[in-house]
Amino acid sequence: MKNFLLSWLVFSPIVVSGWRRLETKEKRLRLVIFLSLGALLWAGTFWGLWRVLTYFRGIESFGDLLAWRLLDMVFLTFLGLLTFSNMVSGFSAFYLSQDLELLFSLPIPIANVYRAKLSETLVASSWMVLFFGTPVFLVYGVVYEAPWEYYGLLVLGIIPFLVIPGCVGVALVMTLARVFRAKRARDAVMAFAITCGVGMYLLLRFLQPERLVDPETFSGVLGYLVSLNAPRHPLLPSNWMVQVVAPSLFRRPGEEVFFLAMLWSTASAFVVMGTWWAQAVYATGWSKAQEGKGARGRPWRLIETLVEKASGIFPENMRPFVVKDAVSFFRDASQWSQLLLLGALVIVYLYNFAAMPLEKAPIDSWYLKNLMAFLNLGLAGFVVAAVAVRFVFPAVSLERGAFWLVKSSPLDLKSFLWAKFWASVIPLVVLSELLVVISNALLKVSPFMMVLSSCTIFLASFGLTGLGVGMGAMYPRFKVENVANISSGMGGLLYMILAVGFMGAMVVLEGLPVYIFFYSRFSGQAPGPWAYFLAGLCLAVAFVLMILAFWYPMKRGVQALEEYEI
Amino acid sequence: MIELVELSKNYGAFQALKEINLHVREGEIFGFLGPNGAGKTTTIKIMAGLMKPTSGRARIAGYDICKEPTKAKAQIGLVPDRPFLYEKLTAREFLKFVGTIRGMGASDLEAQMEGLLHTFGLESWADKLIENFSHGMKQRLVMCAALLHRPKVLIVDEPMVGLDPKAARLVKEIFRKESQKGVSIFMSTHTLEVAQEMCHRVAILDRGRIVAQGTAEELAAMTGQFKADLEEVFLRLTTEEEDESS
Repeated sequence: MKNFLLSWLVFSPIVVSGWRRLETKEKRLRLVIFLSLGALLWAGTFWGLWRVLTYFRGIESFGDLLAWRLLDMVFLTFLGLLTFSNMVSGFSAFYLSQDLELLFSLPIPIANVYRAKLSETLVASSWMVLFFGTPVFLVYGVVYEAPWEYYGLLVLGIIPFLVIPGCVGVALVMTLARVFRAKRARDAVMAFAITCGVGMYLLLRFLQPERLVDPETFSGVLGYLVSLNAPRHPLLPSNWMVQVVAPSLFRRPGEEVFFLAMLWSTASAFVVMGTWWAQAVYATGWSKAQEGKGARGRPWRLIETLVEKASGIFPENMRPFVVKDAVSFFRDASQWSQLLLLGALVIVYLYNFAAMPLEKAPIDSWYLKNLMAFLNLGLAGFVVAAVAVRFVFPAVSLERGAFWLVKSSPLDLKSFLWAKFWASVIPLVVLSELLVVISNALLKVSPFMMVLSSCTIFLASFGLTGLGVGMGAMYPRFKVENVANISSGMGGLLYMILAVGFMGAMVVLEGLPVYIFFYSRFSGQAPGPWAYFLAGLCLAVAFVLMILAFWYPMKRGVQALEEYEI
Repeated sequence: MIELVELSKNYGAFQALKEINLHVREGEIFGFLGPNGAGKTTTIKIMAGLMKPTSGRARIAGYDICKEPTKAKAQIGLVPDRPFLYEKLTAREFLKFVGTIRGMGASDLEAQMEGLLHTFGLESWADKLIENFSHGMKQRLVMCAALLHRPKVLIVDEPMVGLDPKAARLVKEIFRKESQKGVSIFMSTHTLEVAQEMCHRVAILDRGRIVAQGTAEELAAMTGQFKADLEEVFLRLTTEEEDESS
């Protein structure tokens, strides 16, 4: 009991400061907006999965097996995500938090620090899975008219299910921090965690889950059923979790009590073993992480030289910012390691187009391919917006505490902000063109669609960058402790909404020219002058919209920075 | 060189600065003293263009910081109380960055940079990442950056915090030399011995108002204790204010 109280005392400042963050009216409003958007997302997940499960339930003989298999995949994905996310949050909580110096100077046993930091890590890593998991579990319960035991067992099982990957992730982090030298530990943990995440993501995608709903790919119904019944790895907690909830859900005999005991006993044992491991390695690892031996990594020197040379294309007053930002990016493992995630995203995105069975479709494949290319424009825009919210929106806030240097220098803030714009727009244009041109080439679309798509995404990248840099300046977060949190605030959220709206408007405005193109192909008639006029008008409006999207936020961003008081 | 006229700053209903007036001459070392929360850092931030005053004006080398910020900032070297820097740059890269955004030519920048790194004893650390620097080393690096472009006005917030005795002595020597060259130094400090030793004149700020300004002797005379040191004067003036307000 005394130990528990001590651990709680160590953990309580985090709870109290979290509560204090809601004290102002603006912050409560922000919470309301977040919750409303969350509710919307929840409703969407619920509706989509409800349709899928209702369809499964309608399939006689093996519909339940499909739903069972899907549940298996859901828990396996959650397990992987939790381990990955616990590693990232665990490293921040255990090695980077500002309260650690105080904690290590107090007469508190390591075991209590470990338990408090583990709790912090679990909360930081698990809420997302709980948030997205809840509608999934609820819709299963609703569609299969689950009895109350299902919900009870779910709650009882989910707690240890969250604790297990938490303990594993933290233990891995502590081991890496103990093994690697000083500041290299951080790079090693980030790179390892992100490589695991990327690996899992690629694996899941290349397993082609869509084949589950395409029985043709199996040699026969029997093979299909056998594959569905194939035993899952008995040592995976995700499998135990399924064994806890599935029997009551699908009304089949099972050993839920045994698997529940497995989950709880494993979680408890992992907490105890984690405490032992922390007592053995944590203090030494933390001490090593303070040592200042980190120098520039050799592999990056070539990139740094290239960046310096390439910066020659920028005006003189912007060059120092471009070089400084690029060099800092490649020296910060928490920044560059995200390129691995981005790489995986691009590979899977393009793979989806390569694997698309358009030839099997019952309608004309020319029409379908070009329609796909048009829809791809919106999708690529959405992907680019998601990338921009992570890389472009934080560009200003990444100055962090050192913004005083910019603000007190005679350099005008307009040049500063435009330097951020140009440094962001070039990689974003490369990424967006890569996505659109290669996917269009894979689809073998018509030259008209290829030109239209690549021009549109080129212009849209300017709009998305201007919007991101400008809004990042309007909603700066210079004081944020973890750079990953910069885009999770009110400004990031607003940017995402506006960016998606902007891309939606661009796609809608280009709908008419595309329709005219399709119509002339099918009817065999050349479009009349009015059609050309309307199409031209839509394209002109889209162009004006793009100009507005990057010029106006940039203008407001400069004003906001001029008004900003440090 | 520095002129503050009726300068006020409000944070909502709270009045942090109340119609401050002061004038710092060319080549003068001016001490700005006051208890915690008196408004010293707010004054410095306004002078450096990091914050806007609610009313009044601040002129640096003849330029109004609000009306001609670019020209005024070009004359200033700033050393803030907390040296936040770009942690992923080396000391040399950082100075190069600062010199470039201040429009220095490459050869002049290189010569100034090497000279200052040598003066502040940072030569052997010049190619190490700043994230590995101690507080004192960061403070010395910020001073290098502040002096890099040969400013006419040096604004320093708590210059001795985090410095070891050797570095503190070095900083004092550098300030004296800069002052002899005509640089005006505006220095906020809690260390009254430093103010007494270094400053030509001081001002004492309490709850947003300047309660006294002049040479150490003039202030001592104001309190009626002609042989008192600055610490006694400071305590007497700030305590009197407290008594009056209560």
